[in-house]
Amino acid sequence: MILCPNCQYNNLDGTVFCVECGMQLSGLQPIVTQNISADNLPALERRKTATFPKDLDNWASLHLLDSGQILPLGDRTEFTLGRVSEAQPIMPDIDLTPYQAYANGVSRLHAVLKREGKRVFVMDLGSSNGTYLNGKRLTPNVDQTLNHGDMLALGKLKIQILLKNP
Amino acid sequence: MAKKPDYYATLGVTRNASQDEIKRAYFEAAQRLHPDKNKAVGETEIFLVVQQAYETLSNPARRKKYDATLPPLERSPLPFKNNIYYSRPNLVRMNEAQMLYVLLEIAPEKNKEEIPAPPLNVSLVLDRSTSMKDEKMDVLKNAAIKVMRNLRPQDIFSVITFSDRSEVLIPASYPHDKRRLESLIQMLHPSGATEIFQGLQAGYNEIQRNASHERIDHIILLTDGHTYGDEQQCISLAEHAATKGIGISAMGIGKEWNDVFLDTLASRTGGSSRYISRTEDIQRFLIEKFETFARTLADNVVLEVKNTPGAEMAYAFRTQPETGPLPIEESIHLGPVLQDFNLNVLFEYLVDPSLTKQDQVTLLRGQLKLSIAGLPTPAQPIAIEFSREVRKEAGGEPPPSIIIQSLGKLTLYRMQEKAHVEVKQGQFELAAQHMKQLATSLLAQGERSLARTALIESENIAKMQSFSEEGSKEIKYGTRALIMPQEKELPV
Repeated sequence: MILCPNCQYNNLDGTVFCVECGMQLSGLQPIVTQNISADNLPALERRKTATFPKDLDNWASLHLLDSGQILPLGDRTEFTLGRVSEAQPIMPDIDLTPYQAYANGVSRLHAVLKREGKRVFVMDLGSSNGTYLNGKRLTPNVDQTLNHGDMLALGKLKIQILLKNP
Repeated sequence: MAKKPDYYATLGVTRNASQDEIKRAYFEAAQRLHPDKNKAVGETEIFLVVQQAYETLSNPARRKKYDATLPPLERSPLPFKNNIYYSRPNLVRMNEAQMLYVLLEIAPEKNKEEIPAPPLNVSLVLDRSTSMKDEKMDVLKNAAIKVMRNLRPQDIFSVITFSDRSEVLIPASYPHDKRRLESLIQMLHPSGATEIFQGLQAGYNEIQRNASHERIDHIILLTDGHTYGDEQQCISLAEHAATKGIGISAMGIGKEWNDVFLDTLASRTGGSSRYISRTEDIQRFLIEKFETFARTLADNVVLEVKNTPGAEMAYAFRTQPETGPLPIEESIHLGPVLQDFNLNVLFEYLVDPSLTKQDQVTLLRGQLKLSIAGLPTPAQPIAIEFSREVRKEAGGEPPPSIIIQSLGKLTLYRMQEKAHVEVKQGQFELAAQHMKQLATSLLAQGERSLARTALIESENIAKMQSFSEEGSKEIKYGTRALIMPQEKELPV
């Protein structure tokens, strides 16, 4: 049996598309996280620096699962995540509006990512729909340690955390 | 300019036919075509060719002389090849049933010199019931005249009109006097009810008189209404026509016709059914159909099926050239192979766990029978086998992209099929929910207008416990058209 991750329908083995909801069940390219050591790849590194000057300093990237896009973070130690809307006093550092933030229930100021030394934390900022770390809802305003590959959900917007030095 | 007819083709016999066979073929043709029974001008000439053929072939000396003028009999390989794709590299040994998808592809050879369009033997069966009056009838007449004008001297053409009875407007004949044929078509005027069987029967009679492997024998039915009470007769006739190599395609105009019925009718013969939502599209669709005939490489492609017990062929669908579900039967009529387009059919198999005890499972042993357009005798059947090894583990390879692509779109089509079944069974909530799911999936694929229709139908089901005639057809033929790899723009 294959359990459809979308609608929980039990499909017969060998099914390619869920017969209940039409979701593709096999043949999807799995998302592979790779750590590339830049030291051994001088050519690659040069090219990368050319396009992203701050790349060397970034300590984490956000992998937006729905769109498959990867957002590298800059060299600051703290980023607020949320969405920009009109008449809003404090803007988030990272605006998730282009990634269907509104439809997914992301608050204007939803959560914050912080780095302290080698450790990385996430804190929910009292969002309406909550922040989930690997499926567990976070208590608002409490730091929670993040590890490489953790799944974060702001409301329903799923983000995988990719750390530079896990 | 018309080249000399092939006498063997005219009589429908092979080159090495005995005198007896030739005689029999001639008598049989003479009975059908004798001038005493004829009405049309062109028809007598069909008979004259038969007469000539017999006179030549029945005399051994003349036959020998005639044979010498023929090009050598080609024993060339078939002008296409077939490929089989499977959704998995192997079956898995397990205690529960599993699915396997198989795609049969018949691909014409590329880069050959241009193949002449095969001669036609086509009958238009036109609905002239009262509902066809005014604009619809005018457009229909013009469309019929347009395709008639494009006929070549070697084509055989007939027109039947029907309401509650049928009338042979143009008997099967060569289109010698196109002006006269045109005036005949112009005389059509609407009255009466719709009884499809009357029309089909008359169309069949016209076609079968000249049916041959060499020609494209096809009935095109155009209707805008429901037929009452004669559906079963129609389908029996279609099944019979299929055994004679005669195809039926149906075009439904507007929303008031029975799509399930016309689909069944056409699919029995390997033909296609189409939904014409706007009257002005009649001509385009009719011309397209004739273009398909002209591009036909092989006709009457039939898959004779012998499934292994335990391997159930649960679903069969032609994804191209003309998309549509196929009936699951012992001989499945697959429709034509075109010169420039693959014929693809997707099969869904439900494999019983008992079969996986073996190391190798043959799901289907069958053969492909067909006639090459323009050749008088059917081609040598091709053996087809669907077979998979059984292993402990599923292979890691993803299904081939050709299967993913067709199956992905087919899944949408099947969701609406499912909703229809559920409505019939009274499970309205479920049906409405599935239509909503379909709307979401359609939206995800960028099919906005179709998604909107699906959503409206979902509401219709929830409120009125049924689909609307129009929306249901739009979604059915709309999702079906998606399966077709980006060929032509769809009517919206």
